[in-house]
Amino acid sequence: MGMKLGEKVAVESLEVELKAPTELKLAGTLSTPTAQAEFRRLLQDLHTDIVSAKTTAFAVDVQALSFVNSSAIRAFVDWISRAAHAGYTLAFKTSASVTWHRLSFSVLKSLAPATVEIIESRPAVAGGGHPS
Amino acid sequence: MKKGHEAERTLTLERRDAALEDAQRFAALAVTTCTPECREAVTLAVCELGENLIKYSGNSDQTHAGTIGVSCDGDKVRVRAVNQVTSLEDAKRVSDLVAQISGSGIDVRDLYRARLQQLFEHPELPRTQLGLLRMAFEGGFRLSCSFAHSELSIVAERACAAP
Repeated sequence: MGMKLGEKVAVESLEVELKAPTELKLAGTLSTPTAQAEFRRLLQDLHTDIVSAKTTAFAVDVQALSFVNSSAIRAFVDWISRAAHAGYTLAFKTSASVTWHRLSFSVLKSLAPATVEIIESRPAVAGGGHPS
Repeated sequence: MKKGHEAERTLTLERRDAALEDAQRFAALAVTTCTPECREAVTLAVCELGENLIKYSGNSDQTHAGTIGVSCDGDKVRVRAVNQVTSLEDAKRVSDLVAQISGSGIDVRDLYRARLQQLFEHPELPRTQLGLLRMAFEGGFRLSCSFAHSELSIVAERACAAP
């Protein structure tokens, strides 16, 4: 059984929250072997739940996920592959101010353009819209 | 303004679960005077190199997996990982990958995408092998490596302007 709605799970410095039946929020950092293994298990369970619920579109908010190592990138690749085979889409909400979001998610999208959508937020410009 | 030469700060990486968190803290402290972008890149490099040391270096009976050094010299920041190698095959694989990434006319994004494509098509592949590619692609590092007397040294360098 996967996560419950509204439940927050902390794995070392990684925070995971199922914000809505079709949206997961990830925050913090992911680098240790323990966190990597737990993250992979969590995504596998979530995929099973998504397929069981016949969900066609799922969102992943990574805006507050500041750092991951390459094992986490691999976990995203595997999830995208499973989603493509199962026939649901993944929309990643990213932040333009985080280098790895900006660079890696565009490449991840290119692996399965029909499966992956990137929704990039841009930081507000200080003082914008207020003429002096 | 150019920054002066700073001695290399070195972390000896222990084989324990929290080693990569140690590496992250070490990276943050080693480049406090650099730009946020450079600090982000150094954290990436230290963590990726650290993970490789823990996973693949030397004999797992040894308490230490290797060392990671960070230094700022003028407008350049350098990260250096050194470890003992027991598998010549691994050392050659690393050398070949570094040579490929550093080759003239190479688009690192293309190499990174090609590796992700392999992983996408073959989820059964046992090794991720994205760390060095990410360092070059996301971190903007130039990579080089040397191998002598069973010791592998990987050096990653990039520009770093003072904030």
